Amino acid sequence: MRKAFSLLLLMLASLSIYAGGSKEENTITIWHQFTGTHSQVFDEILDGFNSTVGKELGVTAEGIYQGAANDVLAKVKAAAGTSELPEIAAMDATACLDMKESDYLITADDAGIDKNLLLPAAVRAFTSERGLLAVPFCCSSLILYYNKDVFDEANVILPRTIDEFTAIAHLVGKKDADGNIVRYAFAGTPTTYELGAFIGAQNGLSYMVDGKNGHFGIPRKVLIETDGTFRNFLIHWKQFFDTGYVLNTADQVQEFASGRAAAMLNASDHLPTVQRLVGDRFEIATAFVPMTDENATGGVNIGGSALFMFSDSDAVKAFMDYILSKECQQKWAEETGFLPASNSVYESNEFKAFLDEHPLYRTAVDQTLSSNPEVTGIWMPSGYQIYHTYQSEIQKVTEEGKDIDQAVSDMADFIQLQLDDYARQNSAG
Amino acid sequence: MKSNNLKAYLLLMPSLILAGVFSFFPLAKSIIGSFCTISQQGEIIGFAGLDNYISLFSDKAFVSSIGHTLLFLVIFLPLNTLLILLAAVLTRRKEKHTAIAECIFLTPMAISLSSMALIFREIFRGRISIINRLFSMDIPWLESPDYAIAVLAFLGVFLDFGIDYILLLSSFRKIDKSIIEAAAIDGAGDLRTLFMIELPEARPMLAVIVFLAIKDAVMISAPVMILTAGGPFRSTETIMYYYYLEAFRSGNHGAETSIATLMAAFSGLMVLALAKWRKHDEIC
Repeated sequence: MRKAFSLLLLMLASLSIYAGGSKEENTITIWHQFTGTHSQVFDEILDGFNSTVGKELGVTAEGIYQGAANDVLAKVKAAAGTSELPEIAAMDATACLDMKESDYLITADDAGIDKNLLLPAAVRAFTSERGLLAVPFCCSSLILYYNKDVFDEANVILPRTIDEFTAIAHLVGKKDADGNIVRYAFAGTPTTYELGAFIGAQNGLSYMVDGKNGHFGIPRKVLIETDGTFRNFLIHWKQFFDTGYVLNTADQVQEFASGRAAAMLNASDHLPTVQRLVGDRFEIATAFVPMTDENATGGVNIGGSALFMFSDSDAVKAFMDYILSKECQQKWAEETGFLPASNSVYESNEFKAFLDEHPLYRTAVDQTLSSNPEVTGIWMPSGYQIYHTYQSEIQKVTEEGKDIDQAVSDMADFIQLQLDDYARQNSAG
Repeated sequence: MKSNNLKAYLLLMPSLILAGVFSFFPLAKSIIGSFCTISQQGEIIGFAGLDNYISLFSDKAFVSSIGHTLLFLVIFLPLNTLLILLAAVLTRRKEKHTAIAECIFLTPMAISLSSMALIFREIFRGRISIINRLFSMDIPWLESPDYAIAVLAFLGVFLDFGIDYILLLSSFRKIDKSIIEAAAIDGAGDLRTLFMIELPEARPMLAVIVFLAIKDAVMISAPVMILTAGGPFRSTETIMYYYYLEAFRSGNHGAETSIATLMAAFSGLMVLALAKWRKHDEIC
């Protein structure tokens, strides 16, 4: 009897594991990748929702950290079709290809989100043949960070193109008496994100793959070789590197923050982090991304992440309305460095006053508003591998003297292989 | 006899069920899947023949990952074996202060893999890294393909050190003391005792450590994920890290099942080699 009772208790205890995993019906679960300040501000926004709109509707929004953006995607795919799928997940552009092929996504268009209220470049960044896939939330763009003290001391004009940067590299870089580099003019090896601007902006608008960078249909053909954009970029970049003042690195923030590099390219939302790391060491300034050449007038694309919906409940729609409200977007932008996704914020006097007070934040805003909104990030299968292969090819060209045409051909072949594989696995062949 | 067999099978049953459900069934699924076209959603949509394998070996990154894994193995295996052997030999006799050394050598076991990898990342990060500051160096440890793989191997040694050390130490201490004492009476010195008695006695355990190290080297993935993320410039992408990228980041199930099949075959060969070696050792 005692044994049977113990067994029953054990079984009940086991069942409680499942009970713990079940979701409450009046909860909006949001999986995200936010850490540090981003996480803190996001939680404050959720608290704001829960104490106002959520309270009226009787729902609670709960944010759950699920690792990096790609981890969130992996978990969403694993949870698809189960009750564990959250109502909302914050994911970046690497999720778009999977999401637009999925049957469990409720697109922002389906949810009735008014696109006219959103920043056009942000809308284009997450638009596919299924319409607007997700609600843009963490919008950022690539900007040039530079050491203002060094640039002022060298008395140089800010470079508008890579060639102009090449011309001043020896003035903002520094060598010691033995010829060893003390300060690089630039640190960083461009990859998919940077090439979104360096390639995307060429000739007003260029794409890396067909389907407008994979946004419309499954990408089937790589374009960077046939249209000559990657070759053109490599020619200019190699000349820049050959000055001897460019450091190939994936950790440019540390090189820049320590003062070992006078400039770097990075996402605009990293501004608070860069400011914290630099401290009082030198004055930071920001500028537009240098163009590949005089014809590269397209500007930059919007990066960052968006909120993907997996439920079309009224509570989720109410949450989206709340998160896109002027107050919410302004708080998010001012406290994290992201660009506001709602047009209303750009027109508000409070935000204009904020930009006057924080001019470093203005660069990303001005650059985005003056860019061609059709310049978009790339949606490709195996995005992570392509990201690192771009860096490898650029490193081989600059450091190992690999022939530029060969590098372009190898890069194009690599991307094509990924596209073919993806098409084969999705019956698109 | 028959009832004994039945009893043995019944006792084995729970393990067989677990192995079947969690090892053999997924393995069979992977082998079948590796000859099929599988959608991103994980559904088999057709027969692919050898296409998945051809596609895998057409990818230069996969071929490179084999090279990186072998390079890691070449650095890691001798370094790991030598250092563990050295530590175990130096502390094999229980003396007054050996407990302190034992504690130090066993410390890595108390630190989780991810914590240790993060600590290593901070120690070796950038040219103004802690290690460069400490020793007045200017080496781009994690920024240079040549150094990054060495740092990874060093981390590998650190992660395996505790468990390998305790295995080898216990093997040394299990040796019958009377043999060592008899050798000493016969005039054998410390070195002679070590090379003629203790090391041959510890050889089976040393072999286990070497096989474990080979397995760890070939399967290395998590330390790569945290320390280098395959970089710089994909120079530390090992086979299993490549597998992780294809399976979990890209949803490329063709590559996933093909690599799983190849690695299972490799593991099988390793187990056979170890079994054969042990049999040979017993005969000798």
